[in-house]
Amino acid sequence: MAGRLDVLVCSGGACMSSHSLEVKEELVRQLEAQRLADEVRIVETGCMGPCQYGPLVLVYPEGVLYKNVAVSDVAEMVAEHFLKGRVVERLLFRSETADQIVREHRSIPFFEKQMKIVLANCGAINPESVEEYIGAGGYEALGKAVTTMTPEGVVAEMKASGLRGRGGAGFPTGTKWDFVRREASPKKVVVCNADEGDPGAFMDRAVLEGDPHTVIEGMAIAAYAVGAQRGYVYVRAEYPLAIKRLRSALEAARKLGLLGDRIFDTAFSFDIEIRVGAGAFVCGEETALLASLEGRRGVPHPRPPYPSTSGMWQLPTLLNNVETYANVRHIIARGSAWFASIGTGESKGTKVFALSGNVRNTGLVEVPMGTTLGELVYDIGGGVPNGKTLKAIQTGGPSGGCIPVQYLNTPISYETLKELGAIVGSGGVIVLDEDTCMVNLARYFVEFTASESCGQCVPCRSGLVRMLDILDRITRGEGSMEDLALLEELAHTIKRSSLCGLGQTAPNPVLSTLKYFRGEYEAHIRHKTCPAAVCAALFVAPCEASCPAHVDVPAYVTHLSNGDFAKAFDVHMKTNPLPGICGRVCYAFCETKCQRAQIEESVAIRDLKRFMADYAMEHQLAGPKPGARNGKRVAVVGSGPAGLSCGYFLAQRGYEAVLFEALPIAGGTMATGIPAYRLPRDILEADIDRIVKTGVRIELLSPVEDLGRLFADGYEAVFVATGAMKGQTVALGETLPRGVVTGVEFLKGIHVDGASEVGDEVVVIGGGNSAIDSARAALRLGAKRVTIAYRRAKADMPASPEEVAEAMEEGVEILDMTSPVGVVGGERVEGLRCASMAAGPFDASGRRRPVPSDRPEIVLPASMVIVAAGQEATGELLRGAGIEVAKGGLVAVDPVTMGTSRPGIFAGGDATSGPATVVEAIGAGRRAAIAIDRFLGGPGAFEPEERAEVATDYDEDAYTQEQARAVPPMAEVRTRIRSFAEVRGRFAKEQAIEEARRCLHCDRQQTEDGACCESSASLAAEAKTR
Amino acid sequence: MLRVVCVSGRGGEDAVGLGECPVVRDLADGGDLVDKLRVKIDGRTILAAPGKTILEVAEENGIHIPTLCHLDGLRDVGACRLCIVDLYGQLVTSCTTKVADGMEIGTQTETVRAYRRTILELLFAEGNHVCSFCVSNGGCELQDLACELGMHSVRVPYTYRRERVDATHPRFLIDRDRCVLCGRCVRVCQEVEGAHTWGFAERGVTARVITDLAVPWGTAESCTSCGKCVEVCPTGAIARKGASNAEMRKHPELVAELTERRARG
Amino acid sequence: MGKVKVATVWFSGCAGCHMSFLDIDEVLIDLVGRIEFCNSPITDLKVFPEGGVDVTLVEGAIGNEEQLELAHTVRAKSKIVISLGDCAVTGNVPALRNGIPPRELIEEIYGTSRTTNGALPYEVVPRLLERVRPLHEVIPVDYFLHGCPPPAGLIAKAVLALLDGKTPELTGADLKFG
Repeated sequence: MAGRLDVLVCSGGACMSSHSLEVKEELVRQLEAQRLADEVRIVETGCMGPCQYGPLVLVYPEGVLYKNVAVSDVAEMVAEHFLKGRVVERLLFRSETADQIVREHRSIPFFEKQMKIVLANCGAINPESVEEYIGAGGYEALGKAVTTMTPEGVVAEMKASGLRGRGGAGFPTGTKWDFVRREASPKKVVVCNADEGDPGAFMDRAVLEGDPHTVIEGMAIAAYAVGAQRGYVYVRAEYPLAIKRLRSALEAARKLGLLGDRIFDTAFSFDIEIRVGAGAFVCGEETALLASLEGRRGVPHPRPPYPSTSGMWQLPTLLNNVETYANVRHIIARGSAWFASIGTGESKGTKVFALSGNVRNTGLVEVPMGTTLGELVYDIGGGVPNGKTLKAIQTGGPSGGCIPVQYLNTPISYETLKELGAIVGSGGVIVLDEDTCMVNLARYFVEFTASESCGQCVPCRSGLVRMLDILDRITRGEGSMEDLALLEELAHTIKRSSLCGLGQTAPNPVLSTLKYFRGEYEAHIRHKTCPAAVCAALFVAPCEASCPAHVDVPAYVTHLSNGDFAKAFDVHMKTNPLPGICGRVCYAFCETKCQRAQIEESVAIRDLKRFMADYAMEHQLAGPKPGARNGKRVAVVGSGPAGLSCGYFLAQRGYEAVLFEALPIAGGTMATGIPAYRLPRDILEADIDRIVKTGVRIELLSPVEDLGRLFADGYEAVFVATGAMKGQTVALGETLPRGVVTGVEFLKGIHVDGASEVGDEVVVIGGGNSAIDSARAALRLGAKRVTIAYRRAKADMPASPEEVAEAMEEGVEILDMTSPVGVVGGERVEGLRCASMAAGPFDASGRRRPVPSDRPEIVLPASMVIVAAGQEATGELLRGAGIEVAKGGLVAVDPVTMGTSRPGIFAGGDATSGPATVVEAIGAGRRAAIAIDRFLGGPGAFEPEERAEVATDYDEDAYTQEQARAVPPMAEVRTRIRSFAEVRGRFAKEQAIEEARRCLHCDRQQTEDGACCESSASLAAEAKTR
Repeated sequence: MLRVVCVSGRGGEDAVGLGECPVVRDLADGGDLVDKLRVKIDGRTILAAPGKTILEVAEENGIHIPTLCHLDGLRDVGACRLCIVDLYGQLVTSCTTKVADGMEIGTQTETVRAYRRTILELLFAEGNHVCSFCVSNGGCELQDLACELGMHSVRVPYTYRRERVDATHPRFLIDRDRCVLCGRCVRVCQEVEGAHTWGFAERGVTARVITDLAVPWGTAESCTSCGKCVEVCPTGAIARKGASNAEMRKHPELVAELTERRARG
Repeated sequence: MGKVKVATVWFSGCAGCHMSFLDIDEVLIDLVGRIEFCNSPITDLKVFPEGGVDVTLVEGAIGNEEQLELAHTVRAKSKIVISLGDCAVTGNVPALRNGIPPRELIEEIYGTSRTTNGALPYEVVPRLLERVRPLHEVIPVDYFLHGCPPPAGLIAKAVLALLDGKTPELTGADLKFG
């Protein structure tokens, strides 16, 4: 009954759980209703791969793939597509790179780089129909093997193919077959290991559910080759659908004589039984599996003897994994040479991976060995969602390891991953973004293996729980460096002395994270902080933890929600004295970690701060009173955010803090580099004035050239916060014509030295915030056309996405993958020559490096070229004081005390970190003030008092329902590009209170005896591995 | 008495160094020539009969390797991992690894000793091994291992297990807090007594030995009360009722004697 | 050379280790000339010397807050710390209470005992720790003398070795618990 259309409905496990069967029922109903039942054939298939987008419906002959199909979409699909031939565009995939709808499913980036051998039939045929399997070439290989090949020939072919065991260990399959074949026993057994137990791994399940015959055929060929009469599939009880489909496939195969006596009328007889395991992870280990298969307790025994000599019932036993068997028929049918041509060196063919974690396209993918990790994560996986950055890739499940982002160019093979401390394993790939705590991740895996240890051998049984115990302590901030050493020792002992593969590999997650992320362990131990803000015992709330100044966000936001604006302001001033500035230009690290985003979007913390700061300014709220004078004087060089913050906190502790500023205005980069449309000058001045009123003196036009002089003048300590004010230049030629300026000069000119003439056409080079600032400022200075040339992809721009969007709204054009090579012009600049770049291999930051493309150079006409491609510190002052200064003018300081190599001299802010953010400088200034206090004999601590939780006077539960994030009014594009007036408006009072009430009070949940934070942390880990 | 025959084409008894013989045979009791393998243990070249384990060969040659779950007369399972030795950089349990010609084995390398000690610490930490008032004090294999392996302190925190003592059997009792899960009771009950009363239940740290289907020992119908499990238990876990502090002395060597006698018929 | 300052401390234990120490017989006479006993249950000096000591022998496990605090003082003020006996080395008998909440324990022992009239000692005695721990779980320990109690000869051997400026060789039977 060949129809006009074939409609394939995915009935893999994931799609079924998102109701694909209901979609199918509805399709049947709608086709009946439209009288199309004869023309359209509906096929239930196995897993199609992109599980995230289920239910999936694939329509042939066009090959149109619909995603996230709901029952309510079916009527439209039938009426529009099946009846009128009009594809329903809203259900199609969209390419992330080109932002286009993709109709043909092979062109979807997810599928483009895949090569389906094992999964060839999955999602393409009805797994419950042996006829469809045969129609797709099934059982041809078995026929070929038993009728035209000798068993030796089959084994030779397998050896030549280079196939290696896909269950994890990667043992050469042909060699194993040869071992079993050479055994003299008249009775032999073939076993299929379908006890897939790694968290987040489902490739074997997909094959069994989507193409069970391919496994049967592989096993039958194996049985013929090694001389076995019986086969067993050991499959876990958690896979009921796989069992059901396998069972019906076995029956169908028996009916057709493909199993049983005298297969293909030869002397070869073979049959297969299913044995259902109870789902113990250790039963994936071959000797434990065989014990369980025989009906004994599923614990491993030492090898030798290997199953190939003495396996099930002491008979020679061939044991391979599902995916290994699924390769067999292709090798026999198409030849070993074809198979060996795929892949790399010692790793041939393809590998199926279950892609999960923080990646856009989760699901099942099959790629040739040798595909790079970067291609897997970015090209197929679509990269990391939600604007987060990639941190590491975990491969191989609980036995595997974490590969950090700098290895994205690594081609996947057994050898390369092992070299990096990870393994291919059975094929689980978990993508981890910046919000992953590596200690917590290692803890999660060890918790899993400890609970799955069979308990037979001592190192695994008793050692893993000890490791877990230590990891627990570390994640609670109670670990010591001795613990870390013991953890490592236990890991090595367990790895080398355990009885079976479970114990021998269980320490890998710890060893690999120690290898690449030891600093994170040490942060938990030495500084009692969790850099990823995951380990709940180590912080108040994720927002507070991620704030470089550690502002108590939950407290001030909750005060705002109560309408206690003054109290909110007081809380804020305890840790950050620049609310007006931060309310406008802060990067808002807090918002990136806000848990509200799990419901809809993060709380608008920065806009709330701005509302609060404006309220404080208008009501002339003062900062806290300075501490009683202790008679000691400290000099601060520079009046940027780091200097201001340091001076403010020193004054709080009673020091006489004097800030020396070379320029005629205070504020550092905030005054010279941030245009007024983002940071109005009255706001800047108000924040600085308030600090001055708390007892800080600022000496303008007072450059410091010699730190020694300051000590001679009676200052007992010095904090150097001179920023990174030198604009970097790009090699554009020897002598540059007029009209080529650095972003630093250009922006400083606007508010300090006097603005320059920009002319009509401005080209800005760079991709950071100062490039965007320069571009938008140039528009406001009258440029008619402003273009930004950036050498990487737009998604890789370091500038905040929000500002990129605002700049584009204002008409700034962004040319990405465009690298400047030279300027055009005589005395005055006339244009910028640019090369077109292509995306090359990944660099250490996990972004694709731009490489020259074969497209021709272009010339952008320019009346002015602004080079905003980075800034650096000079380090002159510190070098003069005998302190070592590294490349880029940077000085090494202790990250906690900000102390340099010379006692009494401290440094912080951009001067030590390179260009960073205002709030990071504030945090550095505060840490320096604490360290200086300790250096000068003080207690070196600010708030010994316990943090007070803020109660609310409204119904909090009412705000846990979805509620859109509030958006402040914005100046219209038409008017805003004509002046430097502020673009972003302020919340109204009621709006601010409502927005503040969206806070979920994470601080509170975590102080209640830790019970719920533990569950939320483990939930998050579980979610990650799903 | 050297009964080495060096078969190198010359035949006859020969006094050449073992290292130079390509094939070595031994005159067995019946006077037959038996192939022997050459292995190097801790630098000593030793002749070994094929089919023997590293542990057996070492013991025969006066090289002591610490053991706990191993017991002559019972099947080896390699569970305690204390008998690990270095074989070309790999660590293998000497009780389950058969000798092969040319093997070079280290029984006392620094790594091996350190790992054994760590494993022993893990054993001490997971149970309640309070020697001072244990029935087996002075006659305990675990206690002896601490002396032998030089265990000064247990660096991981003790877990302080809290299992109920099963004293339902009229003559014996089991205190699972003292159990090291060596499985000797399970094996002797299966392999020698044939009663299959003892078995394992659960997994990981909750793994424990049980009688019948985890019923109180006194109600286990398969138990023949032969007492073999008491004799083979290396610690005070399985003990005779009525024995007081330091009064239990066990005789695990009886098993080997028993199996040998049975073999002889 | 001045006398070597030795202190002994008695935590959760039965004093048997101290008894064993006194059992070293004639060695004591030798010791008296070479060591100065500071804080010790033997001398009944209760304050740990401000100036610190050379060697402290610690009997007993750490079971309450006072012991915990004193253990830290011992470590801070002693050049060498020795765990004396199984209680200090393993927790031994005192640690058998681990797993029972301290409050339940006190209510059971003092509340139902006939000799105490049900008066619960909450205020006047140091608070029990959640669990009893061996000394080295609390502070770094230099040497471990096993045994319940450690044989007098073992104690003598260790102390004499230290007095001679040598590292005590503790091997084989020296490491027997119980």
